[in-house]
Amino acid sequence: MAKEFIARGADLELKKIRKEFPGFTAIEELDLHVPAGEFFALLGPSGCGKTTTLRLVAGLETPTSGQIFIGGEDETETKPHERPVNTVFQSYALFPHMNVLENVAFGLRQRKIDEPLVKAKEALNLVQLAHLADRKPQQLSGGQQQRVALARALVNRPSLLLLDEPLGALDLKLRREMQIELKAIQMEVGLTFLHVTHDQEEAMDMADTVAVMNKGRIEQMGAPEALYDRPKTVFVSKFLGQSNLLVGEVESTSANSVSIEVAGNKISVPKTRAEKHTGKIAIGFRPEKATFTNKKPAASSSTNIIGPGEIIDIRFTGVSNQYLIEVPELGNITVFAQNIGKSPVTELGEKVWISWSVEHSFGLSDLPNTGEAA
Amino acid sequence: MAFAAFSSTKSNGTSKPKKTGRVVIALLAPGLAYLGAFFLTPLIALIMVSLQAQDPYGGIGDYIPAFEINNYFLVITEYFPHMFRSFSYALIATILALLISYPLAYFIGVKARPYPLLQKLMLTLVIAPFFISFLLRTLAWKQIFSNESWIVTTLQDTGLLEADQYVVGTPFMVIFGLTYNFIPFMTLPLYTSLERLDTRYLEAGSDLYASPSKVFRKVTLPLSMPGIISGTLLTFIPIAGDYINASGDFLGSSSTAMLGNVIEANYLQINDYPSASALSVLLMGAILILVAGYVKKSGTEDLL
Amino acid sequence: MNQNLPEDPQLREMVKAALAHKVTRRAVLGGAVATSAAALLAACAPSDKAQLTPATDVSDSDPSLIWSNWSLYVDVDDAGNYPTLEKFKSETGISVTYREDYDDNDSYFGKVKDQLALGQDIGADLTCPTSWMAARWINAGYVQTFDEAELPNKKNVQPAYLGEAYDPQRTMSLPYQGILAGFAFDKKAYKDATGKEAPAVLADLWDPSLKGRIGVLSEMRDTVGIVLMDQGVKIGDANSLTEDAFMSAIDVIGQKVTEGQIARIKGNSYKDDLVNGDTIVAIAWSGDIIQLNAEAGYDRFGFVLPESGGTISADCFVIPMGATHKKNAEKLMNFYYDPYNAAVLAAYVNYITPVVGAKEEAMKLDPALAENQLIFPSEEFLSLTQGFRALDSKEEQAFTKAFQKIKLGA
Repeated sequence: MAKEFIARGADLELKKIRKEFPGFTAIEELDLHVPAGEFFALLGPSGCGKTTTLRLVAGLETPTSGQIFIGGEDETETKPHERPVNTVFQSYALFPHMNVLENVAFGLRQRKIDEPLVKAKEALNLVQLAHLADRKPQQLSGGQQQRVALARALVNRPSLLLLDEPLGALDLKLRREMQIELKAIQMEVGLTFLHVTHDQEEAMDMADTVAVMNKGRIEQMGAPEALYDRPKTVFVSKFLGQSNLLVGEVESTSANSVSIEVAGNKISVPKTRAEKHTGKIAIGFRPEKATFTNKKPAASSSTNIIGPGEIIDIRFTGVSNQYLIEVPELGNITVFAQNIGKSPVTELGEKVWISWSVEHSFGLSDLPNTGEAA
Repeated sequence: MAFAAFSSTKSNGTSKPKKTGRVVIALLAPGLAYLGAFFLTPLIALIMVSLQAQDPYGGIGDYIPAFEINNYFLVITEYFPHMFRSFSYALIATILALLISYPLAYFIGVKARPYPLLQKLMLTLVIAPFFISFLLRTLAWKQIFSNESWIVTTLQDTGLLEADQYVVGTPFMVIFGLTYNFIPFMTLPLYTSLERLDTRYLEAGSDLYASPSKVFRKVTLPLSMPGIISGTLLTFIPIAGDYINASGDFLGSSSTAMLGNVIEANYLQINDYPSASALSVLLMGAILILVAGYVKKSGTEDLL
Repeated sequence: MNQNLPEDPQLREMVKAALAHKVTRRAVLGGAVATSAAALLAACAPSDKAQLTPATDVSDSDPSLIWSNWSLYVDVDDAGNYPTLEKFKSETGISVTYREDYDDNDSYFGKVKDQLALGQDIGADLTCPTSWMAARWINAGYVQTFDEAELPNKKNVQPAYLGEAYDPQRTMSLPYQGILAGFAFDKKAYKDATGKEAPAVLADLWDPSLKGRIGVLSEMRDTVGIVLMDQGVKIGDANSLTEDAFMSAIDVIGQKVTEGQIARIKGNSYKDDLVNGDTIVAIAWSGDIIQLNAEAGYDRFGFVLPESGGTISADCFVIPMGATHKKNAEKLMNFYYDPYNAAVLAAYVNYITPVVGAKEEAMKLDPALAENQLIFPSEEFLSLTQGFRALDSKEEQAFTKAFQKIKLGA
C-alpha cells in the first residue's frame, strides 16, 4: 500500500465535487485545480464549505458526486490512509499517549520507512523543537504543539499538505511568526500546500493563489494582489478587505469605460475592469484609493467624484485614519488616509467631496443586497 | 475491599499536603475514620482470626488467639486447585466480558454519538438487568440451561453433548454466568472512556497512513486504556471472589467450586474460621499483587 | 417474607431460593463482623465451657415473644396471616413475632454463636435447630431448662423422641416437627429412564441412565446416613458408626460425584431441581415432597424409604439463655403440643408430628391426611428409620470437613 515517498508536491484537481450532508448541502459544485508546488489558500467564512473541501481531499469525507485527482491519480474512492496527503489539524490532534518524537514518527512507522526516529528528529529540527522530543504534547504551548503537528505531517513528505486553520488558536504575534515560518518551510520543501483559513490577511500574506469560497462554491480565485485589486463579486469585495459600492443603471458607454449615474454623479469604470457593461451594475472602490477635499475638485474623465458628504466619524488606527462620510442618497463611504501628517480635513461635520481614479474602480458581476449600505 | 485498599493507597500516594494542613486534616478526617473503622479494623481482625488455633478444650468453632502461620500453608496445600480455578475463571470471564463489551461500548460511545436517543436506549439496556436481583437472574439462567430445556436437548440431539452430559454445573456454565453477571461492570467504564474519545485522533491516525485496524491498535485502544483498566479491575476482582455463580445452588457443581465457595463452606459449614480467614487474606493479597502488577505493566498510572 | 410471593410455583421457588440466599449472604457479612468482634473479645473471655445464667423473664409484664424458625414451617393463610399463631394470641393474649430467619443450622449457628457463648439475647426467645444442633447448644449450656408447670401438654410427646443422650427427658428441647429423609423421585421421568416404577435401594440411584440426574441433600446426617445404612451401618450406634465407616460412605458419595452420577448437593433449593426436571431422583425430605405434589396438582413425585432405611431427625424448640420471654415461649410450645393444634399444623406443613393424639384429631379434619404415612407414620414405617448418633466435636469437625470436601470438589 505504501506510496512512493515523494519529495516534490503533486497537483490537486477537484472535478464537479458535490457534498451533501443530511439536511444541507455543504458544497454545491466545486471545480478546483491546485498546481504542484503551490501554496494555495481556501478562504471563506465559517460554514462556507472550505473545511469540508479539505476533508474530502484528505479522504475523511466521501463526495456525494465528483472526482478527486492527486498527482493525476483518481483518489476519489481511496481511504484516507492510502492517500499521499497529510493534514495539520486545527486542533493539532497530537496523540496524547505518545511523546512528541513518537507523534512525529507515527506516519513513518505506519509506512515502514527506515529509521523513523532519526527522520522524526530531523523534522523536529526543522521546526526547532528537537529539544522537546521527549515531552508529552500536553506539556507544550499552543505554538509548540502547532509546530509538532506541522513536523508530524511534513516528515512524511506528502504530495499535498493540508492545513486546516492551523494558526487559528494562536495569538496575533505568534501567528505572524508562524505564518512566516510556514511560508519559509513551504518554499524550502517545495510541497503543495492547501491552506484553509478564514483570515484574509493570512491567506493573502502566504498564498500564491487564493480561492474565496462562499456558500459551497468558489466565488473567485487568483493571486492575492489580483483578487484585491479587482474583486468580481460583492462578497469578494467585502470579504477581502473593505469596499465602497455604488449601484446604478449604465448611462453611457465609451470605448474604454462604462458609466453609471448615482445621485447626480457620473461614476465610471474601465471596461476591462467591469464584469457587466449593461443594466444595473455595482461599481466599487477601495477606501485607501480615494481622497477627499473640502472643495469640489475639477471634473476629469479619469477621476470619479461624489459629494458633498459630511464626515460623521473619524477613527485613528495608527498607520491610517478612517473617515466615514455620509453622502446624501448614497449612504456612508469609507476613506482611509495615510497618517502622514497632512490630512485634508480632520474635523467632524465638515462637508467634503470624495474622489478616486477611474482606474481604481471595479465593476462587479452582482449587486449588493437591497437595504445594505453601499 | 481489595479494590478499596488499592485505590486508597493510590490516593494517599498522590495527595500533597499544602500549607493549610489543619484544614486538610479536618477534611480528610471523616474518610480516614471511615477507612479505619470499616477497612483497617476488620482487616486486622481478619488477620488475627486467620492465625488462631483450635481450642484444645473447646467444641466446634472454638478457637483461641495464636500465631499459627501454618494455617496459611495448610489452606494453600488443600485449596490450591480452587485458587487456581478462581483466577482462571476470573481471567477467562474478564477477557470474554472485555471482548463482548468493547464493541458494544464503542458503538454506544462513539458510533451512536449523533443519535443521543439511541445512546440512552442502549445504555438503559445495559443497565436494565440491574433492576432485577442478581440472584434471580442467575437462577433464571439455571432454568434456561436446565437438563430438560430445549437448548440442552438440542445440543444432545445434535451430538454436541453426550446424552448424559448437561450444561448446568459445568465450568462453561459458571464462566458464562460470571461473564453475564459482570458485563455491565465492564461496559460502563469502557463506555465512559470511549464516550470521551476525541475522534479527531482517529482521523489524524488514518491521515498518517494507519489502516483502520492500525488506528484501533495504535490510537483507539491506548486512549481507551483507562476504561479497559477500570473495567477489567471492576470485573476481575469481584469475579475472583464470587461464590454465587459457581455455587452448586446456582450454576456450578462440586467440580466448579471457587475460592469464595471454599471460604463460605469453611466459615458457615465447617465453622473453621481461621482457614476461612486465611483464605480471605490470601485472596485479597493475590488480587492486590495481580492488580498492582497489571496496572504497572499496562503503564497507565497517569491515565487512571 | 412470603406474603407477596408470585403465583407460579416455579417462579415462587426461585424467589424463595433467592430470598433464602440473600439471608445467607447477609449472614456471611454478619458472621464476619461477629467473628471479628469475637476475635477481639476472645483475649479476655474464658475458654472454659460457659457457666451461663438465664436472663430475667419479663413474660408477666410483656405478653410477647419472638420465634425464629425455618421458612414455610408454620401454617399461613392466603392473606399471609398465621392462623394458629392468631389462635394462640386469642387464647393467651401473647403476640408472637414470627421470623423465618433460620435458614441453615450451620449458618444460623455462625450468626448467633458469639451471643450464645456470652449468654446474650440472640434476638429470639424461641428457635428450632435440628436435633444435632440442639444437642450442641445443650451440651454447651446455651439453653434454658423448661418449667414443667407451664408445659402440661409435654406428656403428649411421642415416646420415640425421648431417651436421646443429650436430653433424655426433654427438659431443654422439645421436638417441633419430625423430619424423614429418603428417596424422592419424579415418577414418570424415573420410569422413562430406568423402566422401573420406583427406586428401592441405593444402587438404583447409580443406574447409568440416571447419570447427572441424581441430587443429594447438603445436610450431612441425612445424605451420609442413608449411604451408611445402605452399607449396613447402624447410624444410631457408636460401635457401628465409626469414623472408618463414615469415611467409606464419604468415599462412595465422593466417587459418584466425581463420576458425575450425583450432579447436585443442595440444601432447601434441591426442590427447584426436582420441579424443573434437572433431578430425577433425590435424597430428600418427606414434607417437601407432599408440598411439591400439592403445587404440581398431581402425584408427580414419589417418596420411598430405601429398603435399608431412611434417616429421621427432628427440629426442636429451644429457649436460648439470653431469652427474656421464657414463660411465653413455654406457653407456645404447650399450645402446639395440644393434639388439635398439632393436627392443624401437620395438615399444613406436612412433616411428621411428634404429638400423640394429633392423628386422631387429623382423622376428624381430613381422613386422607391421617392415613398419610409421611405425616402420621405407623410403627412399622418408623421401624425403617434411624436417627444419626450424637457426634463429639472432634468427630463432627472431621465428618463435616470430609463431607464439605465432596461439595467443594478437588
